[in-house]
Amino acid sequence: MPLPSGPRLVALFLPDLPLQRVLRGREAAGAARDRARSPLAIEREGRIIACDAEARARGVRPGEALAQGHAACADLEVVAVDEAEDRAALEGLAEALLALAPAVEVASPDALLLDASAAHLLGPRGEGEAALADAAVALAAGLGLRARAAVANGRAPARALARHGRGPGAGEGTLALGVLPLGALELPAPLEARLLALGLSRVGELARFPPETLAHRLGAPGLAAWRLSHGDDPSPLVPYTPERLPEERLELEAPLESSEPLLFGLKRLSDRLAARLAGRGLGATRLALTLRLDPHGVERVAIALALPTAAASRWLLVLRERLGSLRLPGAVVGATLAVAEAATAPVEQLALDERPQQLAALETVLTRLAARLGEEALFAAEPVDRHRPEGAYRTAAFGRKKEGAVKGRRRTPTSTSEPSALSVAAPEATRSRRAATSTSTATPTAAARPTRLLAHPEPLLALGEGGRLTAVRAMGRTLRVLELSPAERLAGEWWAEPFDRDYHRARVEGLGDCWIFRDAADGRLWLHGFFD
Amino acid sequence: MAASASEIIEGLRLEIRRLERKPSIAAVRPVPSGRAAIDALLPGGGFPRGALAELCGGPASGKTAVALAALAAAMGERGLGAFVDGRGELYPPAAAALGVDLDRLLVVRPAAGPGEPWPGLWAAEALLGSGAFEAVAVDVPVEGARGRAPGGAAVDAMLRRVRAAAEKGGSVGLWLARPEGPRIPAAVRLELAAGDRVQRGSGREAIHAA
Repeated sequence: MPLPSGPRLVALFLPDLPLQRVLRGREAAGAARDRARSPLAIEREGRIIACDAEARARGVRPGEALAQGHAACADLEVVAVDEAEDRAALEGLAEALLALAPAVEVASPDALLLDASAAHLLGPRGEGEAALADAAVALAAGLGLRARAAVANGRAPARALARHGRGPGAGEGTLALGVLPLGALELPAPLEARLLALGLSRVGELARFPPETLAHRLGAPGLAAWRLSHGDDPSPLVPYTPERLPEERLELEAPLESSEPLLFGLKRLSDRLAARLAGRGLGATRLALTLRLDPHGVERVAIALALPTAAASRWLLVLRERLGSLRLPGAVVGATLAVAEAATAPVEQLALDERPQQLAALETVLTRLAARLGEEALFAAEPVDRHRPEGAYRTAAFGRKKEGAVKGRRRTPTSTSEPSALSVAAPEATRSRRAATSTSTATPTAAARPTRLLAHPEPLLALGEGGRLTAVRAMGRTLRVLELSPAERLAGEWWAEPFDRDYHRARVEGLGDCWIFRDAADGRLWLHGFFD
Repeated sequence: MAASASEIIEGLRLEIRRLERKPSIAAVRPVPSGRAAIDALLPGGGFPRGALAELCGGPASGKTAVALAALAAAMGERGLGAFVDGRGELYPPAAAALGVDLDRLLVVRPAAGPGEPWPGLWAAEALLGSGAFEAVAVDVPVEGARGRAPGGAAVDAMLRRVRAAAEKGGSVGLWLARPEGPRIPAAVRLELAAGDRVQRGSGREAIHAA
């Protein structure tokens, strides 16, 4: 008797996958909540291949012709099988299962094979494999697919045991396989027919048949079948490798005009997408939501996330915000949620000094704000070594410190201080006095900068006596200047947009401490900020 | 569909977060304003956590400097602060000069139209309610705001939501107000005027303390 030589595998079988997929799509679309469903059957080439419990109760049976199904159940709803979609659903589950096993094979049309060679890490041999099988079934259930699992050596034996309901507790190898029908080995149809003609209807009967006789009568395929009947399948696992970032689609049976039912469906899509992404150890940084509208047209929504994450709950926060602010020209009839960009998801570690709950709260609120206000509305200011006050800082992404940033305020080497009050004389006179006093150089202190800077300086009309500024006219009023600091000259950037300004801190009656400057170019006086 | 393990864990995390946001006995210690004269006026010697404090004054009354100093004090060595700059006037170099670490200060500057306070109010509510920031300063032009927010709330309703968010998140909320603005539902109200005259008040009866 040959010893099983194939890889240790967990097989996951999804019974009636085409039917499950259709029902899952309708559940996500909220159809089950809204109205009673007709009995449902899936057909291929005029024959029913699967039907739901309601249809079965009404007498519909898989394998019979469509006409027979309709005769048994007049209101039977029939959906044509979509093998591409079924394959995509299977691949999506395989992607998510990568979180549990080092390799997963897609065994179309309705099974997956998981490499169980590392299952001993979950427990002693038997327990570890059973735990892996249970986890795989639970993960599939979380994604809306019912599955059953089996553990065995070799691909064909594992598949056969799972397909025929021989779970991890039912034993394995020749004993477990022996009770299965011959068809469980998925042999080529001509070979299976010849074996059946020999009176072999069960795997155990094939296993007991003399191998020499089989080899003599059926050649190498017969011998291979005999080895399979002993659970010996040395063929290697063919790992599935996802090639694209995942996306999930939702088809609605009736157009939706409000966001809440749509969010219900998007939650299902998000759960599936997140599980698939998590299986690959990735977190989304950008999502793309496409809403198909009734009667035509699409609305595309790009969603940027603050940090890579595969947590569907965090995506939903943003989706809720964005949907709440959307004004759609038509009702929604379908949606596609795709991961547009992903990065390696950071491993969350519970370090006491890192306050993980605060980090999670930060990530959530940054994501919500970015989604609602736009990323450009959030920033951390970064000092820049420029003399022009409005250019003395730049915006940077919050929480991402940039290399080469200037820390703190830098001194302005070209600034000078004039000893007297601001003159109301012409610019020429100002320049001549400036030349006479330019040896008095002072460095502005940090406190000399206003807390508020106007984006657009406001013009002031200077009023004075004896060459001294005594009042300004602003906002239709004449306001006395109570105190005036010496001038601080800020100038430069001759290579681009040159500027030359004399800044003063002025205490203005009714306004408080203001930052005003006289522009050397035209001699006009401007209000640039407040020491608020 | 049964809740997956990840959903359960995420739910537990949210619950932990909610519990930890509640101000504990250690967390209710007020945050000093950074100015002894002002601290002497404030109940407990500082701005309360989990509440709004209104700093009311004209354009150059010194309220922003007080708010920035309080932000620096609340942020300490490792905490985060936020400034909702609804008027677009905050000058970060001055904040740095007042001791605020700019790397840990989130500036939110909503691109809103003139006199449009809604995005700023919404941002204030989100930031204060998140519990991620030690202190949040809010400078949003609510004076003269007309109409209602996109959700249908009027200014006073939005202000109450901001106050509730501060209570939920446990942060110090510093509201920069203009004298001509609407009533702010704050726990503490400081009236500042150019010339270092500070008044303390709560509700309609202001206590002149200068």
